[in-house]
Amino acid sequence: MTAPVVSVSGVTKEFGTTRALHEVDLRVEQGEVVVLLGRSGSGKSTLLRHLDGLERPSAGAVEVLGEDLAALRPAALRALRGRVGMIFQRFELVGSLTVVENVLTGALARLRGPRLGLWSYPRSLKLAALTHLERVGLLDKTYQRADQLSGGEQQRVAIARALMQDPRILLADEPVASLDPESSDQVMRLIREIAADDGLTVVCSLHQVDLALDWGDRIVGLRRGAVVLDTTTDGLNRAQVMEIYGRVAASTAELMAIETELGDVVAGTTVRDGQT
Amino acid sequence: MGRLAGHGAVLVMLAFGVYSLTTLDFSWSDVATSVRQAAKVFTLMDPVSLPPPGDLAYLIGLTLGIVVLGTLVAALISIPVAYVSAENTTPAGWLRVVGRAIGVVTRAVPDVVLALAFSLTFALGSSLPGILAIGIHSIGMISKLFADAVEQIDRGPQLALRAAGGSRAQEFWSAVFPQVLPSWIATVLHRFDINLRGSAILGYAGVGGLGYAMKVAFADFPQGYGRGLGIAAVIFVLCVVLEIVSSTIRRNLLGIDAVGNSLGRRIVRTATGNRPARRRPSGGAPAGGVEAALRRPWTRSRVRDLSWTGAAVVVVVASYWLADVDFSQVTWQYVLPTVQSFWPPNLGSHTLGDFLQALLVTVEVAFGAAVLSLVLSVVVGSLAARNVAPNGAVRGVFRTILVIFRGVPELVLAIFLIMITGLGDQAGVVALAFGGVGLLGKLVADSFEELPPGPERALTAAGATRGQRFLAATWPRGVPSLIGNSLYLVDTNIRAATVLGIVGGSGIGFYLTNASTVLTLHGQVTTLVIMVVLTVLAVEGIAAWLRRVFR
Repeated sequence: MTAPVVSVSGVTKEFGTTRALHEVDLRVEQGEVVVLLGRSGSGKSTLLRHLDGLERPSAGAVEVLGEDLAALRPAALRALRGRVGMIFQRFELVGSLTVVENVLTGALARLRGPRLGLWSYPRSLKLAALTHLERVGLLDKTYQRADQLSGGEQQRVAIARALMQDPRILLADEPVASLDPESSDQVMRLIREIAADDGLTVVCSLHQVDLALDWGDRIVGLRRGAVVLDTTTDGLNRAQVMEIYGRVAASTAELMAIETELGDVVAGTTVRDGQT
Repeated sequence: MGRLAGHGAVLVMLAFGVYSLTTLDFSWSDVATSVRQAAKVFTLMDPVSLPPPGDLAYLIGLTLGIVVLGTLVAALISIPVAYVSAENTTPAGWLRVVGRAIGVVTRAVPDVVLALAFSLTFALGSSLPGILAIGIHSIGMISKLFADAVEQIDRGPQLALRAAGGSRAQEFWSAVFPQVLPSWIATVLHRFDINLRGSAILGYAGVGGLGYAMKVAFADFPQGYGRGLGIAAVIFVLCVVLEIVSSTIRRNLLGIDAVGNSLGRRIVRTATGNRPARRRPSGGAPAGGVEAALRRPWTRSRVRDLSWTGAAVVVVVASYWLADVDFSQVTWQYVLPTVQSFWPPNLGSHTLGDFLQALLVTVEVAFGAAVLSLVLSVVVGSLAARNVAPNGAVRGVFRTILVIFRGVPELVLAIFLIMITGLGDQAGVVALAFGGVGLLGKLVADSFEELPPGPERALTAAGATRGQRFLAATWPRGVPSLIGNSLYLVDTNIRAATVLGIVGGSGIGFYLTNASTVLTLHGQVTTLVIMVVLTVLAVEGIAAWLRRVFR
C-alpha cells in the first residue's frame, strides 16, 4: 500500500478554552473522495484548514503529500499549499476583478513576486486559465466582473482557480451550502468529474447526509471535534448514518437536534427506508 | 456622580469660552470697529480685479500642479504605511504601532510649518517645499483612511490566495488592493480637495501659486486688496469646480454617490437629480475557443477604465510640468541637517512659560470661537431642523444659510486674514466662529432630525405649544450629541487657530513661524507641535469621557 496523501494523527486544536478538534485521526489515500459530515461547529472547517497549513495543531501531526507540515519553512509551506487546491462556501473571489484574473491568481504560488492585472501574467498561463474556464463551462464569461456571476458560476470560477494550481488534492469547505439545489448538483458533479479525470484526491465537508451519500466514496462523521463515524458509502443509507450518529449522541434531545441539522428531507427518508 | 462631574466639566468649558472672549478683549464694539476698518479698506482699495489671463492661467496651473503632486506623493508613501498599519496585512505587531505613529505625527505637523522649514533646502520660489509639505502632512489622513479601508475588506479572497500558496505581497496586490482601490481613489480625491483649499494658506509660507499671489497683493495696503480679493474669488471658484470634478469622478468611476454637504457636492447632487450611480454590466462573450478568448474584447468598461487611467497619467505628467519641478534647485547638503534639526525638542531662548502662554492664547481663540459658534448654531441649527422649524420655508431658509456658511469659508477666511494681520486675535475668533457655525449648525440640525419623534408627538397630543415641545422633548435629548459635536469643533478649532496664528502672528503660531524659518530653531518647532498635539489629544479625551457619561 502506498503512502497516504493525507495523514492526520492525534490532532487536537484548541482556540483559547474552546476545543475545536479532539484527537482526530484520518488517513486519505490517493484518489479517494472523502466527505466530512457534521453539524456546523463540529470541526469540519478547522480540520480542512489544518490540511492546508492554515491552522497549526495544538497537539498531534499533519502530513500532506508526505510532508510534515509543522517542519516546513514558510517558502516550502507555500509551495505545498500550491499543490493543494481549496474552495470555499462563499467562493472568495475578488468581485471587482474579471473572471480570468481571478483564475490566474491560482498560479501565484508558481510565480515570483506580486502580480496586478492581466498583462502581468505570461501568455502560457493565460492560455491555461482559459482552458480551465472552458472546462468548467464559463469561457464566455472570461472578461466579466466576478461579482456579476451567479453563485453557481462563481463557485465554478473558484474551481477553475483551484485547477490553475495543478493541484494533487482538492479541499472543499461546504462548497454548495450557499447554492440552490440545481447549482449544487452542477458543482458537485464537476468536482467528481475532475477528481476522476485528473486522479485528484478530494476532501469535502458537507452538512447534508443525502449529498454526502450521493457524492462521497467515504464518509467521515465529526461531532464536537471528534471523529464518530468513518465508513465507505457503499450500501449505506441515510437511516444507518443517522443511527450511528444516534449511538454517540448523549441524549434524545441532542439526537433530535442532529436530526433537524442533518435531516433536511425527513419525510422522504421514511418513505425510502420503508422501501429498502 | 459621573454625570455630575460631566455637567461640571461642561459648565467649566462654557465658562472658559466666555472668559476667553473677554480676555481676548472681544466685544461687539470691537467687532463693529473691525467692520468699520474693513469698510474703510474697501473704499481705499483698487476695484476688485483679476490678474491678466496669461498670468492667471500660470498661477492656476502652478497651484494645481503643486497640489496634485503633493497629494500623489502622500498617496504613494501612504501605501506602505497603510500596509503595515492595517491589522490584516501588517507583518508584525510593532510595525503597526510604527505605522500608526507615522500617521499621527505627520497629521500633527501643519503643512505651513513644513513648507517654512523646507524653504532652506530649496532655492527661493521652488515648488518643491510646497509639494513636500503637502506630501508629508497629507500622509496622516490618507494612510489612516487607506488602512481603515484595508481593515474593512472581505478577508475571504485574501485567505483563498494564502491557501493557494500566495506570498504576503501576492495576497496584498491580488486580493487586497483590487478591493480597496475604489475607496483609495475616493480618499485621494477628497484629500486633493482639502489640499487645494489649504494651498491659499501655504502661499503665506512662500509656496508659489495663487496663495502667494494673494499674499503679495494683500501686502500692498490698501490698494492691492482689490487684486487680493480677485485672487481669493478665483481660489474659491477653483475649489468649487474641482470639488464638482472629483465628485463626478467618484460617482462615475467608482459608483460612489456624492455625499457630504459642501457646495460642490451639493451642485453635483442637484445636477444629477440624486439618482444613485449605476454600473453597467461589463465584459462580453468571446466566441471561438480558447485561442480566440485570449484577445480581450473592447467593451465599454475596458475603454472607460483605460481612458481614466490615461487621463490620470496625463494629469500627473502635466502637473509635473506645470509645477516646474526642478531638482537642481535642491541644496542637497541641507537635506539631512534640515531633517536632523527637528530633534531634540527644545525651548531655545524662551521659557516653557512663554510657550504655555502662547498656547493658552491659541486655546482661548479656539474656545471663544466655539462658544460663539455654539450660540449661533443652536439658533440656526434648530430652525434648520424639520422637527423644530415652524414650517418648511423657515427650514429651507436656515438650511441655505448653513450651506452658505460652509460653502464660502475660503473667501471669508481670505477677507478675515486681512483683519487678522492688522487686528490680531479678535479677527481670528470671528473667522473661526463663522466657519464653525456652518459645521456645528449642520450637525445640530441633523442630530435633532434624527431624534425619534415619539415624545414630541406625545406632548403635541397633550396640548403643548411649539416652544414647550422644543424645551421639554427636543432639547434635552439633543444635548448629548451637541456636547460631543461642540468638542469636535474645539478640536478642529485648535488646529485651525494654530495655522491662523502662523498667518496672523498670534498665539502659538507666532513662535511656530519664527522657529520654522531658522534651521537652528527647529527644535522649538518640535516642542510646539508636541504641545499642540497633547492639547488636541486632551480635548479628544474629554470628548470621549463626556460621550460615555451622557450616553
